[in-house]
Amino acid sequence: MQKRVIFRSAWLPYLLLLPQIAVTLIFFFWPAYQALESSFFIEDAFGFSRDWVGLQNYAELFRDEGYIRSFRTTLVFGLSVAALSLSVALVLAVAANRVLHAATAYRTLLIWPYAVAPALAGVIWYFLMNPSLGIVAYWLKLMGYDWNHYVNGDQALLMVIVAAAWKQVSYNFLFFLAGLQSIPKSMLEAAAIDRAGPMRRFWSITFPLLTPTTFFLLVVNLVYAFFETFSLIHATTEGGPYDSTSILVFRVYNTGFVGQDYGSSAAQSVILMIMVVLMTFFQFRFVERKVNY
Amino acid sequence: MAEVEIKLLNKVYSGNTRAVTDVNAHIRDGEFIVLVGPSGCGKSTILRMIAGLESISTGELFIDGRKVNGVEPGKRDIAMVFQNYALYPHMSVRRNMEYGLKNEGLPRDQIATRIAEAARTLQLEDYLDRKPRNLSGGQRQRVAMGRAIVRDPKVFLFDEPLSNLDAKLRTQLRSELKALHRRLAATFVYVTHDQVEAMSLADRIIIMNAGRVEQIGTPLDVYERPATRFVADFIGNPSMNLMTGIVAEDRARVVLTSGPTIALSTEVEAAPGTSVDLGIRPEHLRVSDTGGADLTLSVHMVEHLGADTIVHGHIGQDAGALSLRVDGVQDFREHTQVPLAIAPGHLHLFDTQTGQRLNCA
Repeated sequence: MQKRVIFRSAWLPYLLLLPQIAVTLIFFFWPAYQALESSFFIEDAFGFSRDWVGLQNYAELFRDEGYIRSFRTTLVFGLSVAALSLSVALVLAVAANRVLHAATAYRTLLIWPYAVAPALAGVIWYFLMNPSLGIVAYWLKLMGYDWNHYVNGDQALLMVIVAAAWKQVSYNFLFFLAGLQSIPKSMLEAAAIDRAGPMRRFWSITFPLLTPTTFFLLVVNLVYAFFETFSLIHATTEGGPYDSTSILVFRVYNTGFVGQDYGSSAAQSVILMIMVVLMTFFQFRFVERKVNY
Repeated sequence: MAEVEIKLLNKVYSGNTRAVTDVNAHIRDGEFIVLVGPSGCGKSTILRMIAGLESISTGELFIDGRKVNGVEPGKRDIAMVFQNYALYPHMSVRRNMEYGLKNEGLPRDQIATRIAEAARTLQLEDYLDRKPRNLSGGQRQRVAMGRAIVRDPKVFLFDEPLSNLDAKLRTQLRSELKALHRRLAATFVYVTHDQVEAMSLADRIIIMNAGRVEQIGTPLDVYERPATRFVADFIGNPSMNLMTGIVAEDRARVVLTSGPTIALSTEVEAAPGTSVDLGIRPEHLRVSDTGGADLTLSVHMVEHLGADTIVHGHIGQDAGALSLRVDGVQDFREHTQVPLAIAPGHLHLFDTQTGQRLNCA
C-alpha cells in the first residue's frame, strides 16, 4: 500500500512547485520564445531595428551549402563520438568488472575525466596534438605521419571527436559497469556449464542483456555530442579549418555572435530545439519499452 | 552416468578463510546424494568445485574416473540447476534449452528431438515459445531442469533448487525430482539446507558443518545413529533433546547435570567421570503411567499440530530444556509436571569434548 499525501489547502502544492516552475519559465521557456520570435526577423547588427521576414531565415539556411555541410559534420561527429566512447567504455567496463583487487581505485581513475570541464578537456587534447609542441603529434611525426590539424580538416575533426569521446567515456563506463554488475553471476556460470566460451558468453548473454543500457547511452551520447560540445570546439579548433569542425551548435554561436546575424542564428537554434524534442520523444518512446526484455 | 570421487578436497580463500576442509566422499553411479548443513558450512562450495565454477585449493576430484581439477565447467559433462534458476531472460524457453546443445554442435534434428522429449517429461510443451518472465516460479524451475536434462550429462548438480518456491510447490516438485531421478538413473548431487528435502530425496546424505563432513549415510542411518552431536541436533524436527551429564562409576548410568540419573542398557565405552551429552529424540519419550519415571517434565508450552502434539518444557523445576512428541491430539496443561519414561534402546551418547558418538545401547 502506497500512502499518498493529500494537501489540505489548494495553494500550498503550487507554492512548493513555484521555484522549479520559475526556473523553467525564466531560463528555458523565455529564451526559447525569444529565439523563436527572433527567427522570424532580420535585425541590424546593432539591434536598432528589425524587419519581419517570416520564414526567410529558415529558407536561406537550407539554401546555404555551409549549413548543409554543418549538418553532415554534426552527424559524422555525433555518431563517431557515440561509437568511440561507447565501445571504449564497454571494453573498460568489462575489464573493470573482472578486476577484484583495487577495483575502487581503478574505477575512480576511470571516472576522473568526467570531472574535467569540456573546455579544459579540449585544451588538454589541443596541447597533446599541437603540431609544434604536442607530444602525440611528435610521436606521430616519429612514425612518419604528418599531423597538423590547423591545416588538415579531417585531422581537426578527428581530434575533436577523440577529445569529446574521451570525456564521455567515464560516464558510459559507469553505466556499463552498473549494467554488468546487475547481470546475475549465475547466468554466466550457467552459460559456462553450457559450454559457451568467454567470447560466446559475452556476445550471446552479456551483450543482449546490456541492450537497454546501450540504447539509453546511445541517445545520451548523441545529445551530448550534438549539443554539449560547444565549449570544447570553441576552445580548440573554433570550427576550423575551413568550417571542417563547425557543428550545428558552434554555427549558432558563430552566426550570431561573430557574424551578428541574429535572425539566422535564432532560426538555427529553433532547428536544434526541434531536434532535441524529437530525440527526447524517441528516447521516452523506445527506451522505456526496451528496458524490460 | 558416472561416479564422483572426492579426495581430501580443500578450499582456502585468500586471507586464509577455509571454506572446505579435508572432504572425502565417493558418490556412486546413479546415486542421489544430498549435501546438507547450515548456511556457510561449505556445501555449495563443494558443489561449485564439482561444477568447476570454483577452483580446487588442494585435493583431487574425479568424475567418471577422469581427474577434472583444472578442467573447464563446459568440459566436465555436468549440468547444474541454480537456486535463482539462472535462465537467460532474453531467450525463449526453447532457446534456453537449445543453448547448450548448440554450443556442443549437435545437429538440428537431434536438438529438436531432445527438446521435445524433455518438454514432454516436464510438461513444458505449451510454454516453449514463452520468455522466462512470463512463467511462474515452478515453471521456471522446470525449464532450468529441462536445460539440464537435454544436455544428457554424466552428473546433475542442484544448488538449493527449490528454496525460492512456496511450501506446497516445493513438496510437489520434490516428488517430481525423485521420479525424474528414477527415470534418468543418473548421478544427482543436490545441495540444500532443508533437512526434510535431504531426508526425503537422498539415497545418502552428506552432513556438513564448518567446512567438514560430519557424517555420510542413508537418511535412516543419520537419523538413527547420528555420528556426532552436531548431526544429532541438526537432523530431526523438533530436534533431539541433548542433556549434559557425567558417566557414573559403573559406566552403565549417566548422572545428568540437572539431577536425574539415567540408566543405560549396556556399558558405555568411556571412562567414568567423562563429560557426555545424552540425547533422546522427543518421539522416544513417553508419558509414564506406571510411576517409574526417568525424567520429570515441567510443561511450558504445548503445540497442537493435529497429527501430533509437541510439548516443550524443562527437566524438573527449571533445569535444561526438554521436549516431548506424542501422537494425535493429547491434552497437556501448562505449568504441570509430567513423568516421562525413555523408550529403551533410543539413547544417544556423545563425548562433550569431541562431539563424537560414544557406543552404547
